[in-house]
Amino acid sequence: MNATKDKNELLPGTLEMLILKTLSIEPMHGYGIAQHIRVISRAVLTVEEGSLYPALQRMLVKGWVSAEWKVSANNRRARFYTLTPAGRKQLGVEESKFSQMFGAIMRVMKTT
Amino acid sequence: MGSLLRRLLFLFRRDRLDRDLDEELRFHEEMTAQSLADDMGGDEARAAARRRVGNPLRLRERAREPWTFPTIETLAQDVRHALRLMRRDPAFTITALATLALGIGLSTAIFSVAYGVLWRPLPYPNPDRLVILSAAQQTGKGVKTIWTWAPVSYAALGPRLDAFDHLAAYVSIEAQLTGRGEPLQVPAVEVSPNFFTTLGVGPAHGRTFLAGAGAADDDRAVIVSDRLWRSSLKADPAFVGQSITINGLPRTVVGVLPRGFSFRPVVRAGALPEADVFLPSRWPGDAGRSAFLYLLGRMKPGVNKERAETELTALVNDPSIVAPGALAPEGVLAPNVRTIARTAGLQEYGAGPVRTLLLIVLGAVAFVLLIACVNVANLQMARLTARRGELSVRMALGAGRRRVVRQLLTEALVLSLGGAAFGVLLARIAIDVTLPLVPQAVLPRLGGIEIDGGVMAFSIALTLVSGLLIGLVPALRVSGTALADGRALHAGEARTTGDGPGERLRTLLVVAQVAMTLVLLIGAGLLMHSFVRLTSVSPGFEASGRDGVVSTVRVTLPERLFDRPERIHAFARGVLDRVRYLPGVTAASLVNSPPFGRMFIQGDFSIEGQPKPNLAAGRPKIGAGYFQTLGIPLLAGREFTAGDTAEAPRVAIVSERIVRECLPGGPGEALGRRVRLDGLSDGSEWLTVVGVVADIRHMGLDRDVQPMIYVPFQQDRSDFVRFVSFVARTSNSAAVVEGIRAEIRRAAPDLAITATVTMDEAVAASVAPPRFRMLVLGLFALAATLIATCGIYGLMAYAVTQRRREIGVRVALGAERSDVLRLVLGRALQVVTAGAVLGLAGAIAVTRVLRTFLFGVTPTDPLAFTVVTAALVAVGLTAAWVPARRATRIDPVEALRAE
Repeated sequence: MNATKDKNELLPGTLEMLILKTLSIEPMHGYGIAQHIRVISRAVLTVEEGSLYPALQRMLVKGWVSAEWKVSANNRRARFYTLTPAGRKQLGVEESKFSQMFGAIMRVMKTT
Repeated sequence: MGSLLRRLLFLFRRDRLDRDLDEELRFHEEMTAQSLADDMGGDEARAAARRRVGNPLRLRERAREPWTFPTIETLAQDVRHALRLMRRDPAFTITALATLALGIGLSTAIFSVAYGVLWRPLPYPNPDRLVILSAAQQTGKGVKTIWTWAPVSYAALGPRLDAFDHLAAYVSIEAQLTGRGEPLQVPAVEVSPNFFTTLGVGPAHGRTFLAGAGAADDDRAVIVSDRLWRSSLKADPAFVGQSITINGLPRTVVGVLPRGFSFRPVVRAGALPEADVFLPSRWPGDAGRSAFLYLLGRMKPGVNKERAETELTALVNDPSIVAPGALAPEGVLAPNVRTIARTAGLQEYGAGPVRTLLLIVLGAVAFVLLIACVNVANLQMARLTARRGELSVRMALGAGRRRVVRQLLTEALVLSLGGAAFGVLLARIAIDVTLPLVPQAVLPRLGGIEIDGGVMAFSIALTLVSGLLIGLVPALRVSGTALADGRALHAGEARTTGDGPGERLRTLLVVAQVAMTLVLLIGAGLLMHSFVRLTSVSPGFEASGRDGVVSTVRVTLPERLFDRPERIHAFARGVLDRVRYLPGVTAASLVNSPPFGRMFIQGDFSIEGQPKPNLAAGRPKIGAGYFQTLGIPLLAGREFTAGDTAEAPRVAIVSERIVRECLPGGPGEALGRRVRLDGLSDGSEWLTVVGVVADIRHMGLDRDVQPMIYVPFQQDRSDFVRFVSFVARTSNSAAVVEGIRAEIRRAAPDLAITATVTMDEAVAASVAPPRFRMLVLGLFALAATLIATCGIYGLMAYAVTQRRREIGVRVALGAERSDVLRLVLGRALQVVTAGAVLGLAGAIAVTRVLRTFLFGVTPTDPLAFTVVTAALVAVGLTAAWVPARRATRIDPVEALRAE
């Protein structure tokens, strides 16, 4: 129902990992997270607003991130998200899960 | 767990979170606009940014979702929506609520009655271990069951039973409480000393009866119910130890039972009123064969009925325990035939006669509820068809099929809950109003009837099921077509005419409704026909006629006041002599066991010079002029007269059936023969037959005529003459009854009048159970018919509206009004006929359950089947008549322009 049809659709389940990874660098606001992922991935990965904000709320509920209002670089009030210890642990879990999955897929693809 | 807590917190901080989210999204939009502004103008950039971010409301909703409990939130939303829709369409709402309230209310009321009688645990510890003992014999004529036992059998059984903790005995008696104002008639039981131990109930004040060696000290003791203690003994605990007068004997109150204790003596015909007085008895000196005790046993824990019955069976076939030929009111156990002992749960036994009835009524009421649900489902479908537009829009906006179904189900549940609320209220009122009118004989209120947790749980379950029933069918139907219609709507196409799949389903539902209604109606019709048959049976006497009505006044003469038969005879003679001269009395007499009374004593008899007849005869003790008073024709010989005194030769009058079966040669030949009553204390002498009278029905209109040997009251010296009913034929019943009471008071001031009743009332009381059954089923059938009529009307009215255009075209092309009428009525006839055929098949399959309630009518009685079916078809067509008439008035020009 809420599938965002996009050429650069993210692999399912990876959005939260990407957000966690991004926030592990420094606290960021939502727009910043989206921009960061876009820039680092050289515009291959686009995070839709429709997925980003629900995902952030989900992670707030789970206690992986915390949020507080701060002043942004251009002097605007923005909501900054910070990784919590639980979020850091989760990042580890997601990373190892992903690399396991990625390795498995690669093995399948390389088999001739 | 932490996340759940955070979500719960959210419920209270919702506004703040919403504000945060709003601001955050606004910030995001602005940042996007800023980055785009480099490529395009400001306004354009903002618009582009908004497009990228998308519907902010939707986004906000989705962002909020992780915080919420989506099921509950959407549920609340759906409920609000449903309530709004209900408010908007009051006609539909009222109809649906009323229908459901009727269905659920009736079901709840009937269930609470059935539960109270059949299933609610009795107010004793471990009631499932309490059983009533009986004995049965398989004879050539079928199974003969005898429920009562002789005191000697009880005394012998008690110590030898291994499967039972306790074995108690009781017999229901009438007690007169005197010396405290008006003499009071109270329901009482004589019980064995261990009776309360057996039930497992202790007293609220004082003690229960002493058992064992001390039992003899309790011969003048009495235990009273909490109710009697409060109403007549001022609820004074000091009354324990004091004395009250019962049946003329002073007795010491040794105990008061706790509030909430209730014991209804269970007897063959059902349960009697709750007993207020308990008298201990060991039935001393009664070594006779007369079996009148009910035995109540408490099985040991872990013992099942089979084991108890095996043990008992071994004992009852021992002649030293159960004397051969022991005589119970129900008949005589034959010697040399193996007797099987049986046990029946106390509740099961008491409910016995009404069990089938209650289950049938429950079934009937389930039908009514089903019919009601079908009606509401149909209404709902019609309404949903009209709401297709709304649903299409919803689905076009992204509501999933499941979401729509859930919403429609919620609407149905809200309706059924509303209906249930009114229904339970209705049930309450119905129970409060109608229950007191239901004769005790019809409905033994064993467990107490009320709407409590158990009944409410049942009612809620019913509500949910009906909600599902009402919601699911139309919801699946409509949500399936809505999407397709959405496209149709978009293309601007006109609605389809004729039979859509929705209409076909609606038609099927109405067919089912008609079928179920017909089954109920046929059931009611059968009972009605049977009732007419029953009440047209002549009892054999004239309860009312040209010379007035027969009234009876009944008294029981206690041993204390009347210790010898001579005193009883003198009392009866004295009162009767004065009653004969009361103004308005055409004829008067007396009898110990009037027809259609509660008592009937029958037993063996012999005829001189003939082998003993295989027949038991009733043996009423009657006064002079009895047959004239009751209007029973004398076929030969004479009535008893004042001359048939204790000193005169012993005489008897026999009924026609005895002559027919045992005395060849007819009534004339019977005169002068000698007969003898056997087996009981009133017999053993040869009596000369001086008259032959016509047969009467003594026990009920549905029973065969009874063989009778009447003997003069003044010649009988047994205890059976302690029961005296004065009978008088009079045109001024009220005054004469008062006169008889006054004469009785004058002769014995301390005597309570047991009952005054006219013979018409007695006969009517005997048909009260079938009348009640007929009324109950009739009422349900009527309710079902009403609902089904609405169903047919609704279907046809809707069809006419849907086919307006088609009918308009037909009229424009020259169809006559009669053609239109025929078109609509023909359609209705199809529906009703289909339902009737199904219903007839169903009725043939299920009316068998009524067999035991039918008198002179078979379960497939052609009269009831045809008349009722014709009536239902007529009602169905009448219901369709109104929309059919409306169809004939359709103006073709208007109908075509409207489309």
